[in-house]
Amino acid sequence: MAAIYPTALPQVYGYLLPRCGSVTVAEDLTAETFMAALAAGRRRPAPQVSVAWLIGIARHRLVDHWRRAVREQRGLAAIEREGPASDDPWSEVLDTQDLHMALLRLSLPQRTALVLRYLDGLPVPEVAEHLERSGHATETLLVRARAALRRIYREGGHHAA
Amino acid sequence: MPRDPLEALRLPSVPVEPRPQFAAALWRRLQGAAEPAARQGATVRYFVDDLDRAVDFYCRSLGFEEELRPAPTFAMLYRGDLRLVLASPVPADHHGGGSRPMPDGTKQGPGGWNRIMLEVSDLAGTVERLRAAGLRLRNDIVTGVARTVKAHSRHHERQPRHLEP
Repeated sequence: MAAIYPTALPQVYGYLLPRCGSVTVAEDLTAETFMAALAAGRRRPAPQVSVAWLIGIARHRLVDHWRRAVREQRGLAAIEREGPASDDPWSEVLDTQDLHMALLRLSLPQRTALVLRYLDGLPVPEVAEHLERSGHATETLLVRARAALRRIYREGGHHAA
Repeated sequence: MPRDPLEALRLPSVPVEPRPQFAAALWRRLQGAAEPAARQGATVRYFVDDLDRAVDFYCRSLGFEEELRPAPTFAMLYRGDLRLVLASPVPADHHGGGSRPMPDGTKQGPGGWNRIMLEVSDLAGTVERLRAAGLRLRNDIVTGVARTVKAHSRHHERQPRHLEP
């Protein structure tokens, strides 16, 4: 871990930050990722430590984080959207393309599905696995998420080509 | 089939340097977690002939936990504040530097009368349990200023452990 930390840290953080859109959350999840990696490293047989492996852990952490947030929102009852996306700055070093911004305004299940499918480029069965949904339910979620994303994107002044 | 326009969302992971304070704090946290319990205590090193059996003995009979076992000739165990390094002798050209022979050719090996001392709350019960597990004790419980017993096992010649209440 010591050998890989200096190069892996910006990679893991760079994966998480644009996806969660919050410095605070990205830092928390980055720390969780490395602590989990350290714990996993004690298991035998020891896993092959690599940036790809760490980003796989980060992806799980991110999905878990969103799942927890969805549960909390349900507890608060009937919040359709994720309120204001985040209260800390969407750092200027990031890709702030409107499409990505629109993504942040989606409901969490839709956002999770689109991030895994499009930002991460995972095939639908893998997205379904992360979401713990059936393939069919995942397809449906993706269709709705795409429609919602387009709506928000066009509300932002963009028109269909 | 037309290309999915949302493919444009693809976001390869581009490295982003986090705040230096965060990077340093996380590194400290990882280092702390990487050295459970033993980091403020002492480290003792024993030579053993059969690493597998020695690790099994310490972990199963005396409550040690395995921390690292990166090679067939080296294991790091811990119990509370004590870290116990177990090593097998290696040839002069082996990468395990600390276990190589001395410059004059003297080989390092198990033996000697130095020992670690483990506190147990019930010495008689512990001795009984170790005997029932088939371990050979060098001595019975000795009553003196301190009550102690030396334990060793066949695979671990002349490496006694005091159990001290």
